[in-house]
Amino acid sequence: MKRSRIILLATAIIVIALPFTGLVLGWSVGLATLVYFDALTVIGLNLIFGVTGMLTLGQAAFMAVPAYCAGILESVGVPFFLSVGAGLVVTLVLAVCTGRVFIRLPGVYLAFGTLAVAFVVEGTARAFPLITGGSSGLILEHGRSLGDRGWYLIALVALTGGMTIYWYLVSGAFLRRLRTIRHDELAAAVLGINVGRSKEKVFLIGATFAAVAGILRAYYVGLVIPENGGVDPSLELLAMTLLGGPGYLFGPLFGTALLQWLFIITGYAKGYVLLVYGAVFLLAVLYLKDGIAGWVAKIWDRFELMIDGPRQDPCPTRRVVSSLSDRHTQRSGVCLQVLDIAKRFRGVVALDGVSFTVEFGEIFTIVGPNGAGKSTLFNIISGIELPTRGVVKIANKDAASFSISERARFVGRSFQVARLVPDLTVVENIMVRVDQITPELSELERRSLALNQIAAFGLSAVADTPVSALSAGQRKLIDLTRAAAGDPSLVLLDEPAVGLAADELDHLKSLLHQLQARGSAVVIVEHNIDFVAEVAKRGIVLDGGRPIAFGAIKEILADPKVQEAYFGALL
Amino acid sequence: MNPLTQAVISGLMMGAVYALLSIGLVIVYQTAHVINLAHGEAYSIAGIFVSVLAGTHILPIWAAIAGAIIVAVLISIAIERFLLRPRRLWSHSALILVTLAAAIFSRGALYTLIGSDAVSFPRLVSGAPFRIAGGVLPPQGLLLIVMAFALAIAVPLFLSTTQLGRQLRATAENPDAAQLMGVNVDRARLLAFAIAGAYGAIGAVLLVPLVSVDFHAGLDMTLRGFIAAALGGMLPLWAIVCSILLGLGEAFVTTYFDALAKDPIVFLMLIGVAVWRSRKIRFGGGLRA
Repeated sequence: MKRSRIILLATAIIVIALPFTGLVLGWSVGLATLVYFDALTVIGLNLIFGVTGMLTLGQAAFMAVPAYCAGILESVGVPFFLSVGAGLVVTLVLAVCTGRVFIRLPGVYLAFGTLAVAFVVEGTARAFPLITGGSSGLILEHGRSLGDRGWYLIALVALTGGMTIYWYLVSGAFLRRLRTIRHDELAAAVLGINVGRSKEKVFLIGATFAAVAGILRAYYVGLVIPENGGVDPSLELLAMTLLGGPGYLFGPLFGTALLQWLFIITGYAKGYVLLVYGAVFLLAVLYLKDGIAGWVAKIWDRFELMIDGPRQDPCPTRRVVSSLSDRHTQRSGVCLQVLDIAKRFRGVVALDGVSFTVEFGEIFTIVGPNGAGKSTLFNIISGIELPTRGVVKIANKDAASFSISERARFVGRSFQVARLVPDLTVVENIMVRVDQITPELSELERRSLALNQIAAFGLSAVADTPVSALSAGQRKLIDLTRAAAGDPSLVLLDEPAVGLAADELDHLKSLLHQLQARGSAVVIVEHNIDFVAEVAKRGIVLDGGRPIAFGAIKEILADPKVQEAYFGALL
Repeated sequence: MNPLTQAVISGLMMGAVYALLSIGLVIVYQTAHVINLAHGEAYSIAGIFVSVLAGTHILPIWAAIAGAIIVAVLISIAIERFLLRPRRLWSHSALILVTLAAAIFSRGALYTLIGSDAVSFPRLVSGAPFRIAGGVLPPQGLLLIVMAFALAIAVPLFLSTTQLGRQLRATAENPDAAQLMGVNVDRARLLAFAIAGAYGAIGAVLLVPLVSVDFHAGLDMTLRGFIAAALGGMLPLWAIVCSILLGLGEAFVTTYFDALAKDPIVFLMLIGVAVWRSRKIRFGGGLRA
């Protein structure tokens, strides 16, 4: 620990002193100041794009808008600090509006929408020369008196502050949540994450970084021109994010420094600046997935391994909270009521007149041939789709009054193909759900809860393994473990037995009995009839969206109508 | 001169070019599920290619035009074959980013070639302009409107009537199923990119003599094509209709208000589409179970 701090401190001192030494061609104090301000913006963009994966192409607009607002207000006599404050507020309002409009749509709308914002900002700044100074720009007087070294210090403090905020903010539950959203928005929503709101929040934080950096930069330069808010600088900011290493703390600084410096030195060979920039952008997108920071991290890891040998396992976490089941009071009687559900997709009947109830501590099954409407029914119960008609009640409450993410508290769901985040470990994947249902606990407590859940489900051996290293069968068991974390009233399992090896199948059976013992109601969609007959007592059979049999599992499987629908092709 | 007719005429001319561009974006989006941000580069590359060759007088202009269209088609195909196909498993945003990077690279290359000046070449058809109800339409403009709309309409017809068109649509609906049914999905995508590249180049050949083109025209054209396509719900016929509306809208704003207000108002239209689309979305973006 100590050694890495010393190395970090030494590097920081060298970096801070570098522009004064003149050792690197073109790396002046002025350039370093600009780089620090841009890097501050890129930290925000790194959060939006690098961590959360939202493609925004107009980030520079949020740099120019506050500068323009402040400058215009100052020119009509508003005091300096008030103008700056108003500029920031206007920018944040603009960011909130942009987020509201575009973020819930498929990603390409955000890309084009933010691009459009940049075009509008640049165009508007040009279109009203009397107010904005037109193409020659708006002069900002206030920063002149500070001098180069003063501004360098301000930039350094701002960047350090920005990196510190990022370090503390983008960690733990928040980081896990964003990783999950980036990888799979649907799974995130089913786990209880309010995807739209999280993305809006990230977008707003990113825009705040841009606004602060933009206003500082404009006062440093003493001028803001329409191009500052346009598409070109926005794309440059994106290139810096990519080049530096998306998702890394030091990525923004590396990327900004390298690209700005490249601009300066290729500027000597006039005409080739844009070509070099284009080539760097293209190569970074195609081949440099983790950017410079990813490289540095890899070298650093190798260096540590060389000196210290393999890393020790982290000490076992203390067990703080054993289980959440005591949080639920009533665990008897009816858990799930499905009343006369119907669903149509543009005239095609997917479900019609489906009704059943499931009690706490019961395993219930839904069977039927492909296209019978089983998945649609699951989607309606978990809130992914709305029914055309009918009511779903969970623990006597109308489920329609809860959004999909609010349902996660009392509904856990697994998927046909496990939808885990591959670059997180098993325990982190389970923590994503625990984060959502017990936000009041500390990080340590949530971790111990997740570890206990893994231990209870007999998967401790893989707790710290990244999911990408596991087999498909193991992933399905972990998906189930996650769905059952926090003992939800209702657990929905979508074909849990498909693709499992024989020993995994036995494991699954014991897990189902454990869920039952904990008092959860379990609903299974399954094709494996032998498995279903073994674990479930009751069930419903769907065919073409309509229920054709209902009741004790042995009886419904023996029903001739069911045999015809299900095995028709075989008999 | 009647400003109303003139606005309609220039709106139709721009709308015709937007139709060519948006239809290319739509078929690429449908078959490859990628929004190609390098789409407009076919326009700027072809426009600059012809201008440069026409300036040197080495080749007759028709040869330069044929060459430009071939180059644009090859570049468009290369983007699919060498940049996108090997990365089919990447996320949507990552693929959009790849096309953006290609666009920026092309822009840099064009800047190195011609610098920041706008270039142009002589009109294909000369002669006295037509005067219609107080408006002026150069023969080149008439050629542009007729040819561009004919080519744009040809795409929906091709998709619905020919065997190859049906294969393209099958690829769009469900690539895996199409593959199983014997459709060569890779070839269908290449075809879509080829058509898109050719249409972008033809748009440039027809429009550039009337306006001129510079190194960063590509992204601008992509953006307008996308707005028309998005307004039309990413459907070929509606994209053509919305291209005309977009062209007319821009022309009216320029005529009756201010040319500088064109960009902001066009993008307000995009925001309108986004608001309209988002009314039904309950969470996240583009989710399917």
